[in-house]
Amino acid sequence: MEKEKVMVLSSFSDYYKGTDIEVPAVEQREFGVGGFKKKIESRHLSFKTDEALKNYLVQETPLYISHSIAYYKFPESTPMERKEWMGGDLIFDLDVHAGIFLTPEEIEQVTGDAITLAEDFLEKDFGVKKDEITMVFSGGRGFHIHVKTPRFRYLEGDGRREIADYVAGAGLDYRKFFEKIDRYRLEGPKKTDWGYRGRFCRMVGKRLDEKPSSIHRGLKKPGEKEKLLGCMEDGNWSKTPIKDIVERLEGPAKEMRLETVEVDTGVTIDTKRLIRVPDTLHGSTGLIAKKLKKVDDFEPYRDALAFGSEPIKIKAKQDLPEQEFADSTMENMKKEEEKEVPKSYGIYLILKDAATLS
Amino acid sequence: MGLNFACKYPFTEEGRQAIIENDIQINDEIAERGVQRIVDALNREHKTANPIHISDQLIEIGSYGAARMMLAHLKNRYLANKFAVAEAKKASSLMPGESKGNIGRLQQELGVVPAEFEDKLVLPIEVYVKFSPKSVDYRLINRNVKGGYVEVNKREIFRLMEEAVKMKVEQIGLFPNAPEIVKKYSKRLMGVVPKTAPSKMSFREGDNPPCIEKMLETAKRHENLGHQGRWSLVVYLINKGLPYEKILQVFSNFPDYDERVAGYQIKHAMNRGYSMPSCGMMLSYGLCVADCKIGNPLRWKAWKKKK
Repeated sequence: MEKEKVMVLSSFSDYYKGTDIEVPAVEQREFGVGGFKKKIESRHLSFKTDEALKNYLVQETPLYISHSIAYYKFPESTPMERKEWMGGDLIFDLDVHAGIFLTPEEIEQVTGDAITLAEDFLEKDFGVKKDEITMVFSGGRGFHIHVKTPRFRYLEGDGRREIADYVAGAGLDYRKFFEKIDRYRLEGPKKTDWGYRGRFCRMVGKRLDEKPSSIHRGLKKPGEKEKLLGCMEDGNWSKTPIKDIVERLEGPAKEMRLETVEVDTGVTIDTKRLIRVPDTLHGSTGLIAKKLKKVDDFEPYRDALAFGSEPIKIKAKQDLPEQEFADSTMENMKKEEEKEVPKSYGIYLILKDAATLS
Repeated sequence: MGLNFACKYPFTEEGRQAIIENDIQINDEIAERGVQRIVDALNREHKTANPIHISDQLIEIGSYGAARMMLAHLKNRYLANKFAVAEAKKASSLMPGESKGNIGRLQQELGVVPAEFEDKLVLPIEVYVKFSPKSVDYRLINRNVKGGYVEVNKREIFRLMEEAVKMKVEQIGLFPNAPEIVKKYSKRLMGVVPKTAPSKMSFREGDNPPCIEKMLETAKRHENLGHQGRWSLVVYLINKGLPYEKILQVFSNFPDYDERVAGYQIKHAMNRGYSMPSCGMMLSYGLCVADCKIGNPLRWKAWKKKK
């Protein structure tokens, strides 16, 4: 593995020579670096400028580099209390559990989640401005979403947990939207309501359009569907004659859950977390943890490549499937088979421990 | 007007100014009243004093400062948290009858300033999550949220303001060189503090799932736990076979502990034989802190053994 390590690190160093890395408030961040054994082998590092950081990356060339989501007065001090926390960005980590390669379906799923998180939750519900959101491909299996707004900067772990749980729909119970006022009056959500209550009404409306009998067969009768729609106009749910209406709405409630985004709560609530530095390389793939202007047409195996198409000869350590990479189709390989492949692809396989240099 | 406000809400900037402008110095009368303030807090007597004479108002304001100095000198977290709960409850009991102007001043001071958004009364999300009590009804996921705001009503705003007062009063810095009078009355205070609390809790770390550990940690730190938290904790401890007295000991660590109420609740739970809420329920209560995937907190030990 020694020659592979040398080749990988020298390729990483070449990448950093030609790349400017920008970290907002770099002098207030703690950095952590990792190598072939661990993603974070040493931390409490700090850099005064982006240039100092770049020099370090070119000369020392760690396999992984992360910075604190927090801003510190003394980022290099230990123990943690001495750093003097001055708030931190709000971070969301979206991942899919991929095999050796992300499948097109997995890419579509995680990309869709990132868009839902940014547009539906961060912008619409939380009022975050577009330019306060930075979408970053993690370099591995998903996205890191950095939210830099002074409004959330000083939130502690508990407040961040409330936000993460809201996005993930953790603990969501649609029954809580309803309140039995007395024997005759049931109050519930209105379609003009905000957040999940409004979302729930939209789901019920959709179900009424598409398959009303899945809620109650009586809804096929003329006028009954309109009564239920009327409930969602003013929140008076006593108008429908369906007595167990709340229980019967479990289907739309499940559909509403599909609109939530599974985020790694542990990352969001940790105010001292280290997160991969945007535009640096991921040590398990050699892909760029790329800052993205748009995520909807992003293809990691096309848009996050750090190395050219210069060929390198590799030997497969396992059977490898056919894979789209760098706008070409990489042919499948049998275990022990040797082949010349583009450098980006070769490094990807070596770092995944699926190939060696031949 | 200024003194009146400072007297009712001594934790505000106006309270601080009143001490400076009137050059209030701790004397025996003020210190005595300060001790009483803390004892009242321990006895859950959240009486609000409303003196009319200026001299009495100055004593009242000074006694708040004296009480805080004693608490800083004693470095007793249990007493400090009890005191914070009592001062917050006193303040919130005055809020409904307070003038609009005074409420506005308090809101500015506490950083709980509501706004109107799409014809609704709202608070910014960051303010809401900072000060909302730990209860299911206040969980963000169960609220109307839009454009960076959470819809609230007037009663809820007062509740959040109460929490903000508590958090403000709880913050007691170090006080290394306390004057003699503070030391003297601190000693006297410890002499009159009821001996029933706080009691020691002995639980081995790792014996309980993370959610329960966190609740026990909250009790150890003498911080409050929401209704669902207490209920889940009591059901857990009963199911683990802890006797009544031991459970009461755990609950005696909460700053708003009332032996009569806690005792009744524990006995009630024991008689009813409630089953432990599942991990899913704990999640919806906002009490789940780690995704252990054990289904029910009671399965922790068996799961750990297997692992």
